[in-house]
Amino acid sequence: MMNDEMEQFERRLSRQPLRKVPGEWRGEILAAATVGTRPASNAVRSGFLSTLNHQLSTIFWPHPKAWAGLAAVWIFIFAVNFSMRDKSPVISEKFSPPSPEVVAELKQQQRMFAELIGPRDIYDADRSKSYAPRPRSERVEILTA
Amino acid sequence: MPRATEIERFYDAHAQPLFAFLLNFTRDDADTRDLLQEIFVKLAREPELLHGVREERAFLIRLAHNAAIDLIRRRGTRERTKENFAAETISVFAPANDPDEKIFREELAFALGELPEEQRAIVHLKLWEGLTFDSIAAALDIPPNTAASRYRYALDKLRGRLRPLYEEMKKAE
Repeated sequence: MMNDEMEQFERRLSRQPLRKVPGEWRGEILAAATVGTRPASNAVRSGFLSTLNHQLSTIFWPHPKAWAGLAAVWIFIFAVNFSMRDKSPVISEKFSPPSPEVVAELKQQQRMFAELIGPRDIYDADRSKSYAPRPRSERVEILTA
Repeated sequence: MPRATEIERFYDAHAQPLFAFLLNFTRDDADTRDLLQEIFVKLAREPELLHGVREERAFLIRLAHNAAIDLIRRRGTRERTKENFAAETISVFAPANDPDEKIFREELAFALGELPEEQRAIVHLKLWEGLTFDSIAAALDIPPNTAASRYRYALDKLRGRLRPLYEEMKKAE
């Protein structure tokens, strides 16, 4: 009984006529298809572009917001990088070499400081310990002496 | 390269069912036209696609289905709002003169729009193309059991949605 009702319902639905494809589409679509078969450079270019578009869409469609976010982050990084680069000459201007007066003053202070602390005894610290290989017996003599 | 007459033959033989299928799937006239054109341009550019194809209709429906899925994915979520809106307004049925039939078709179109796309595709191919579940499964690249269960589920939903109107019309007959 239930199945009969369902079949009747199905038949009722399947009897509903569908809309017809608009007549003017035929000419337009066939014209587009015929143009598409021409080996013209435009067709090749549009074919390449559509393929590229399709490939990019395939790559980007799963998470478009994530890709857009990533792109925004990169743009921000580049923007910051460029703005830093613009400021670098200013920074170098700020840190221009000191004037001769300042250099003279610094040298004077350095001399005074050297006089105050006396000559530095750097020889002991910097002297490298020379090591000449000797026979073991000589080394034992040195130790005992 | 297929000759122009061959493409014309293809169009005359298959454009109508492809149009109805795509319109029911996308619920949008402009998208349906774009997809239909995309399919015929593809066939014209790549005629080797048809080599060895035994069932042209099933093959073309598969092409149409894949193209429609790609389109919906490209649209994204924002465009789905438009799609839902279109589901309420676009009808895949011919206009009716009889007022009862007119209301029934409107309600049916609305109820179809409420179904998920995959269920709608199966219902369309079963009811209006008369395909078997095996053919539907081959066209949509799903197992036949899945096609059958989705069809039953969708039909139950349609029946539940249209029951009051359907019962009323049955009594009147």
